[in-house]
Amino acid sequence: MVVDIILNIAPVFITYYLVALGHGFFEKSGVLNLAIDGLFILAASVTFAVSVYTLNPWLGLLAAVIVDSLFGVFLAYVTTKFPVSHGAVGLSLMFLGYGLGLVVGTPANFYASAREINPADYTLKITTDIEIAMYVIPLLIGLLLLHILNYTKLGVAIRASGENPHAAASLGVDVLRTRLIAGAIGYALIGAGGAFFTLAWRSGWDPKLYLLGYGWIAFAISLSAGRHPLLTALNAWIFAGLVRYQFTIQVVAGLGTEAGKMLPFIAAIAAMVIFNITPLRKILATPASLGKIYYKEEKTV
Amino acid sequence: MVFKESSKRFRGFITEPKVIALIIGTILYVVVMVVATLFYFNRDLILLSTIVYTIYYLYVTIVSYTRIIIIKRVKPIPFSGALIPIMSLVIGLLLSSIILSLARGISPVDLFFAVGRAFFQLTVIKDLVILTLVGISLVLAFTGAVWNIGSEGQIHMGMMVTTWIALFTALSSIPFLAKIVCVILAGVFGALWAAIAGLLRAYAGIDEVPITLMMNYIAYYILDILVYGPWKGEYTYGYIRTDEIPHGMWFQRVWIPGLPSLTATWEALLLAIVIGVLAWLLLKYTTIGLRIRVLGSNPDILRSSGISVPLTIVLALTISGFVSGVVGAVYVLGDTHRLGYPIEGQTANHGYLGILVAWLSMLDVRAVPVAAYIVSALRNAGLLVQIAGIGGTETMFVFIGSVLLTYSVVRILSEYSVKIRYR
Repeated sequence: MVVDIILNIAPVFITYYLVALGHGFFEKSGVLNLAIDGLFILAASVTFAVSVYTLNPWLGLLAAVIVDSLFGVFLAYVTTKFPVSHGAVGLSLMFLGYGLGLVVGTPANFYASAREINPADYTLKITTDIEIAMYVIPLLIGLLLLHILNYTKLGVAIRASGENPHAAASLGVDVLRTRLIAGAIGYALIGAGGAFFTLAWRSGWDPKLYLLGYGWIAFAISLSAGRHPLLTALNAWIFAGLVRYQFTIQVVAGLGTEAGKMLPFIAAIAAMVIFNITPLRKILATPASLGKIYYKEEKTV
Repeated sequence: MVFKESSKRFRGFITEPKVIALIIGTILYVVVMVVATLFYFNRDLILLSTIVYTIYYLYVTIVSYTRIIIIKRVKPIPFSGALIPIMSLVIGLLLSSIILSLARGISPVDLFFAVGRAFFQLTVIKDLVILTLVGISLVLAFTGAVWNIGSEGQIHMGMMVTTWIALFTALSSIPFLAKIVCVILAGVFGALWAAIAGLLRAYAGIDEVPITLMMNYIAYYILDILVYGPWKGEYTYGYIRTDEIPHGMWFQRVWIPGLPSLTATWEALLLAIVIGVLAWLLLKYTTIGLRIRVLGSNPDILRSSGISVPLTIVLALTISGFVSGVVGAVYVLGDTHRLGYPIEGQTANHGYLGILVAWLSMLDVRAVPVAAYIVSALRNAGLLVQIAGIGGTETMFVFIGSVLLTYSVVRILSEYSVKIRYR
């Protein structure tokens, strides 16, 4: 019974955890990532389109990972190479993500309804094994990222670029290359999360996805866990439970549908407040140069 | 370049690993093409390998042998305030027409005709007035480097109060007074909604962008709860929505003899002009305006001159929220006259479009109406294209995304020069 409840959360957990994990990893390198919600929706739509056309969920996952990591590399390149506002570039990529998601998803939706393709044909068949895998694999990825961040040269470079890119550069770290790698890995994970949103959690696509704002909940999950890979897992699990059992909570507490939808957002804001006003903020500090313009005057012309 | 050196350089070029990989890649590409075309005709394979090969070829020939140098200019380029928005509009429109024509097979020419036609449509004026107000609201916050992305939520709070006064209070029997109270209370509610985010930003140090954004969703759902529950109307023909607000409270449509009726309203025009002038005066001539401007450029100066930075942040967001709240009143009294369900799918995303307006105006209140005109024309172009076959929402988002993206990158050209050099 309890095991069933926990296993049922798995599709939501893998979505939130992968997205929050990728987001945290990318932000560790000092790029403020406001494109998260748009590119999350883009990944979900790309997965839907590719899986509908090929009837293979794994190809959809692969496509989402590739598309999103390209966008991540682009975001990292533009914000590091040019002295531009991270927020403005991120938000515009968010809008572009919503638009491209609709551009990609709408014809696939028509195609699916014209050929009478059911979600069961292109999404994952959820069995107990898959649900267990949905817990184990992301946790392994989280451990791997924790190891990379703390014990490898790349991880040190990423953290240094996030704390003080100028100092890092003078010690021989290639800030641009580091952030490109962090962007590729981070957004690959966000893309994978978006893919599982379509394949396992929602089992389908609809044009109003951009109104859900689930990417922002992942943003709050990552922020309130201090971007720590394992704490993110705990937070993601709590939020996944909250969203998965939204309707149960509604019934138990006697709330309406809309109040149930509102709950995760209030919880997300509350989590961010709790993180920011308790000592957690000092222990798991935000990267010092997060969102700051990195501009290096060229000495040679 | 000396010939001898260049031949030496060429020999060095040939033995570089990148170039050897390129030669191997070319051979592989040719083999794949031959196999794919002769033995089994696979269009996807040809397309994919061509794309990969082209990207790699471009990388080796251009990207890895040039470098981009960014140098700060001594003086910003002249006319950058006008040049940069125009440049980003043109490039952004080209970008989005490429995206839409690749994805949907719409010819770019049709798209440009739609955009061009939209600039001369009278329906633009309604959006123009509303977007001017939203743009002013956001310029007030952005000038202080407080990124209020929650205009959408503040507008909805204003809509809530307006609908409540119009439908459920006795005030609606005195239309003139009711309109004034609506506008003021809507502003106050927008301001309070923004102040929550402002307080969290100022005193708990939480980034205002995610907070204001998530509060948009909360505002949507609050309205949904009201419209679905206690406010559900009796005369709605089976739709889930509120009743229409009393006709006496509707804003008066602009009607000039000899011209077709405009969808804009006199009251909205008046409000836009008054608030625009007040906002300009506030930013230019008052202490509060100066503090907000200094907050945007250098908060340390504020701190060292003994002015509370957190209080200034809250103030900037609150004033911005007030103007956004007023937009809610304008929207309900002048346009929709009722609330529908679900609210998040029915309004026009003015809060998000306003961000584009504020950026394109280069944070100058006087330029906001021009920027609002351009953006409302683009939105209407999206609607025109929608009639021609593709969705208006996606066109709108692609337009916003690509113009804003180009703008935020091109903007550096006013202060920096970008040069491309051979490595």
